[in-house]
Amino acid sequence: MTLSQVLRQMMIKESGSNPNNDSSANLPDQDNQPPTLAHTLEEFKDCSDVTHESFPEHQVELIYFDQLVDKEKLSRHILSPLLTGTEQEVSKMLLHLQPFHTNSSKDLILNILAGGVGVFHGPNAFVFNVYSPENRSISQSETETVITGPHDAFTEQINTSLAMIRARLRSSHLKVIKLSVGEVSKTEVYLLYIKDIVNMRFVDEAKKRIEKIEVDAILDTNMIIQYMDDNKYSIFPQFLTSERPDAIVSKLVAGRVVGMVDGSPSAFTAPTSFFEFFSSSDDYYQRWILGSAIRLLRFIAFIITISFTAMYVSVTTFHYEMIPENLILTLTESRSRVPFPPLYEALLMEVTIELLREAGARLPTKIGQTIGIVGGIVIGQAAVQAGLTSNILIIAVASSAIASFVIPSYVMSASIRLIRFGLILLAGLFGNLGILFGITAIVIHLSSLTSLGSSYLNPVAPFEPKDWKDIFIRAPFSSLRARPTQSDSPNKVRNKTRR
Amino acid sequence: MNRMLLFLLTLVTLIVLPGCDYRILERIGFTYAGSYDLVEDNQIEVGISIPRADPTIKLVRELHSAIGKSSKDVRLKFAQQTDLLLVNGQIRVLLYSEALARKSLSDQIKGIVRDTSISPLVKIAIVNGNAKELLFKNYKQHLSTDKYINRLLEKESTNHQIPRTTLYEFERDYYDDGVDPVAPVIKDDGENITTDGIALFRDYDFVGKINSKDALVFCILRGNFKKGSMSLDLNSKNDDNAQNYIMFTSMISSKKVYVEHKANEPIHVVIKAMIKGSIHEYIGDLKLSDDAQRHQIENKVSQLLSERANRIMKQLQEKKVDSLGIGMHVRNSMSYKDWKGMNWREVYPEVKVDCQLHFKAKDYGKAR
Repeated sequence: MTLSQVLRQMMIKESGSNPNNDSSANLPDQDNQPPTLAHTLEEFKDCSDVTHESFPEHQVELIYFDQLVDKEKLSRHILSPLLTGTEQEVSKMLLHLQPFHTNSSKDLILNILAGGVGVFHGPNAFVFNVYSPENRSISQSETETVITGPHDAFTEQINTSLAMIRARLRSSHLKVIKLSVGEVSKTEVYLLYIKDIVNMRFVDEAKKRIEKIEVDAILDTNMIIQYMDDNKYSIFPQFLTSERPDAIVSKLVAGRVVGMVDGSPSAFTAPTSFFEFFSSSDDYYQRWILGSAIRLLRFIAFIITISFTAMYVSVTTFHYEMIPENLILTLTESRSRVPFPPLYEALLMEVTIELLREAGARLPTKIGQTIGIVGGIVIGQAAVQAGLTSNILIIAVASSAIASFVIPSYVMSASIRLIRFGLILLAGLFGNLGILFGITAIVIHLSSLTSLGSSYLNPVAPFEPKDWKDIFIRAPFSSLRARPTQSDSPNKVRNKTRR
Repeated sequence: MNRMLLFLLTLVTLIVLPGCDYRILERIGFTYAGSYDLVEDNQIEVGISIPRADPTIKLVRELHSAIGKSSKDVRLKFAQQTDLLLVNGQIRVLLYSEALARKSLSDQIKGIVRDTSISPLVKIAIVNGNAKELLFKNYKQHLSTDKYINRLLEKESTNHQIPRTTLYEFERDYYDDGVDPVAPVIKDDGENITTDGIALFRDYDFVGKINSKDALVFCILRGNFKKGSMSLDLNSKNDDNAQNYIMFTSMISSKKVYVEHKANEPIHVVIKAMIKGSIHEYIGDLKLSDDAQRHQIENKVSQLLSERANRIMKQLQEKKVDSLGIGMHVRNSMSYKDWKGMNWREVYPEVKVDCQLHFKAKDYGKAR
């Protein structure tokens, strides 16, 4: 039994104790009535996957969902004493397993749905928790791969994911709040934080936002964070999501709040800043100079992604003066066969690249490779030979597409790729002035954003230069001594190594 | 609903409108070089060279010329001759004939400065002869002529055979107090184009020329530089028999100007220049490896260079052009009021200038 399962049972017990207090209030509602076999069976009517077993010799009836329970545990601790044992042994078994005795019918039903075995023994009703759903094994993350460092990633099974965090943080200060979201799905959402490191303001805020959600079902972390967003109309993600336990643990110790959703392999952290999306765990596992260089490269990639094609459009449409002497002739030569204005030419190629990317993402790997080759030839050569585009545009489009994949967070890279289209349009309309307007608008928008109420452009605005050594570069560990200002931790110092 | 409609309309407008634009790269003719000549009746003939890069035609460049009252007047005539939209943003070289320069470049230069699309880095050169003919002629063993001229001027100015003259530098020298602008002179030399000295300007008027032989000494006097090479005949006029010749390169030259004011005497200016160079070639009797003998050569070179410098200086003073910027040093040595009260152009020919050039051999190679 994992640590998290213990936790889970503790919580079930806590919540179960509540109805006892107000049982005196005589409500007519059947849900708060003492549980009866008949009512329970009525609730689960037409659920053909429910299992109902009777043991008349012991006056015991079992109700459970076969696919949610651990079959070995069920047969060893419950079924075998019932099949072979005496009356005494059965009562002993009921005591021994420490079931919890329930007085509310609703409670019983909820527990059976959560993987418990409902046991009716005479007038009494018990629930045993033997929850153990089908689970896939831990594997490498498909979206966030690293070269060095741990390769495991969270799975859809929350217990496995929680265990991966617990195993990395052996501290009783790692606290876990369990919440339930979704009126139908009743998805379990866990909020994790480290006591004394986190600023409780963020925990309370996150909890409040999750509690406010009233929806039928939550299926993924990336879905719940959109319900929690500060600015729902923004194109930028305001919560950082990751599938990597090491990344999530690093956020926890930096004083951030982590949220996990049962059934989703990714966890979210908050508060987060725009610049955090450009760092990867790899930066910390490599030597600091390399890590810094790669991190700077990502920021350059960001600029290339949003501005390269737009620059091509604005320069070829308006600012021929900017083109170097030796380039202008080759550029004119390749442009001279193209029948469209540069804007349409650029949009055509950008849309083609996006089509390829989307097709590649949806198709199985084997067909995906074929698409890559076909697309590469179509875009790389045929389009130029057919006179549909100039070859310099191909370079601009391809390099900005490649640059966009350098950004480690898929959500952020997708957002940036979309912004690019706006800039291309502005470049085609107003030239460099348009690009400038576009970038200004992006900066204004970014600076108006918040994540759990803290500035999204931290540490640039508010200006915190001492944080920059862990944002724009990855300084040596000896100089990374404080937690980020954004997490506003009561315990600021994280590294006391003397050297 | 209305808002949605408005949004869609804006989006459609944004997507459709850019298609109406006309200044697209392949439809514009960017002038690369222009030439200006004086013709009868005070009219000017302007020639332009536009590189073409259409794969369907073999042409390397398109040439147009027309005669008109002003350069802008002529532009309108060009526009009727070509299918391209003529623009000025990529002009690299402007060539003026000596005849036009003698009359004054005032109108031409002002017209260029007024056009904001023309880069201040455009090179200005004076043509000894007809500028249009030079620009329109094809030189077999070189790139297309416009590029050839541009690169020639570029290379020669980095080697300090001619001063670097862009529109910016020309204008700066024109407006600066106590210095007059200069420009390189080029000429057609049959198969090639060569530099032909340095044109001296008083305001916008061409008043004289420094021979290309003296151009490097002129550059030494004008400012500090690195790079460049020079050859000198060390023979004095008396003994013609002995071979005596030196060539040095990798020059480093630094100059200093000392101004002395004395009551009732003209202003005394001393230009001291220190030239260091590696001797690449020496034909003569003295031994370079011997310190004393090498100093002898150095002194000889210094003496020859100083003589030349003083001759150039005299020439400049006769023509009343302060192309070396001595006025700036004089200005810095006196109060603003005194400077304003003095007519430098009148005082300049009277100033006593003494050029002292010192040569020092950095190294002389492995030969003993």
